[in-house]
Amino acid sequence: MAPIRHDGTSLSVAKQNLPVGLVAIHPPGRLRRIRVMHATRPAPVQRGAAVLVSQPPRDFSALIALVAQAKDRAAFAEIFGYYGPRIKALLIKSGSAPAMAEELAQEAMLTVWRKAASYDPARASVSAWIYTIARNLRSDALRRGSSALYAFDSTFGAEAPAQPDAIVSGAQDDACVRAAMRSLNPDQAQAIEMAFYQEQTHSQISQALGVPLGTVKARIRFGMMKLRAFIERETGGRA
Amino acid sequence: MSARRHPSEERLLAFEAGTLSAPEAVVVATHLALQPQTRAWTHLARAVGGAVLEEQEPSPLKAGALESILARLDDAEPRPDLVVTRPRNTDTSLPAPLRGFELGPWRWAGPGVHVRNVLGPRDGDCRVILLRIASGQSAPRHTHNGVELTCVIEGAYATQDGVFEPGDFEEADPSVLHQPRVVSDTPCLCVAALDGQIVLPGRLGKILAPFVRL
Repeated sequence: MAPIRHDGTSLSVAKQNLPVGLVAIHPPGRLRRIRVMHATRPAPVQRGAAVLVSQPPRDFSALIALVAQAKDRAAFAEIFGYYGPRIKALLIKSGSAPAMAEELAQEAMLTVWRKAASYDPARASVSAWIYTIARNLRSDALRRGSSALYAFDSTFGAEAPAQPDAIVSGAQDDACVRAAMRSLNPDQAQAIEMAFYQEQTHSQISQALGVPLGTVKARIRFGMMKLRAFIERETGGRA
Repeated sequence: MSARRHPSEERLLAFEAGTLSAPEAVVVATHLALQPQTRAWTHLARAVGGAVLEEQEPSPLKAGALESILARLDDAEPRPDLVVTRPRNTDTSLPAPLRGFELGPWRWAGPGVHVRNVLGPRDGDCRVILLRIASGQSAPRHTHNGVELTCVIEGAYATQDGVFEPGDFEEADPSVLHQPRVVSDTPCLCVAALDGQIVLPGRLGKILAPFVRL
């Protein structure tokens, strides 16, 4: 009798999906482990991997302070090594040609060097700050005239009255934001994430997913409300 | 239920993601400048943008990219003036986001109504205008093709959804014909992203229509 997998289907069925090479070269015990991995639902495996990848290996806020105060090139190289390739990846996913994405990613890192002194950890996480730098460069490259639009908020509201809620202090905490993202249902998380791939307007998302525009908007709206409630609850609990 | 006075959450997310059209983004930015409490949403959206950036599978930069950047750092010393965007118009009464654009001349667009273009942001037929409407007057009639966003800068107008005051943001529903009327003692100044044409009133309007695009 064929062994039963976690999901109840028999191993002989799963065998057809295995790469031939694996079946040929691995001894039965090893093969079985691989099969079990294949049999595991892919989502938790990917999620575990994504969490590993996404944990910033260093305190980037401290590295940016080193760049700002001491023009520390080693600190800059570390920021560059981590964020440069991620900016490029995000830009490519947003529709930029690889050469353009490369150029903008380099330009974004140069901007990080120039503007390091203006980074205020009390206002935004490092990733959110670097994200806005890349976004503004890209919008400028597309001649959307956005530098004028976003300039008024380049201090992240430092000139504005204090926010009455906990959202600002919570939103500067990367771990809290990522935990909030994981609390969303997959439809909401997907719609929100796709909204950031910059050529994905809401109607394009609607077409790509094959769901009505109103549904996409509702997923984004309720997802955002859930994120805000989650972060405010977390931050309120800690304060 | 009273109508909302701020952009929807999905519109604010699109603003931060950089996917709103330029005219829409100008009106949203004006609202954010006048209503700081809405920035709670844009702070959140930016934080989410950062989280999305963190989650990217790295796409390696070219070999030697770091070295070439390091070589450029010396001639890229921080310049304090980099952050400052020079105003493009001298109307200091306008909110900061609007000062980055040149403005067209005021033009008459009906009794008590004047219009001027905010030059630059455009997306197809959609563009940004400033509207100045005298106390007690109504907004001009206009054709309405799609998106129409308004943010009050000074004064107040009322629709069937209630009164809209400085900083209030309205997204007009194309299926509803609404006739905003200025209810403040002073003129009402609004910025609007308009997709469609303003129709001048009366016979003069009919005569001028082929020549004047407002």
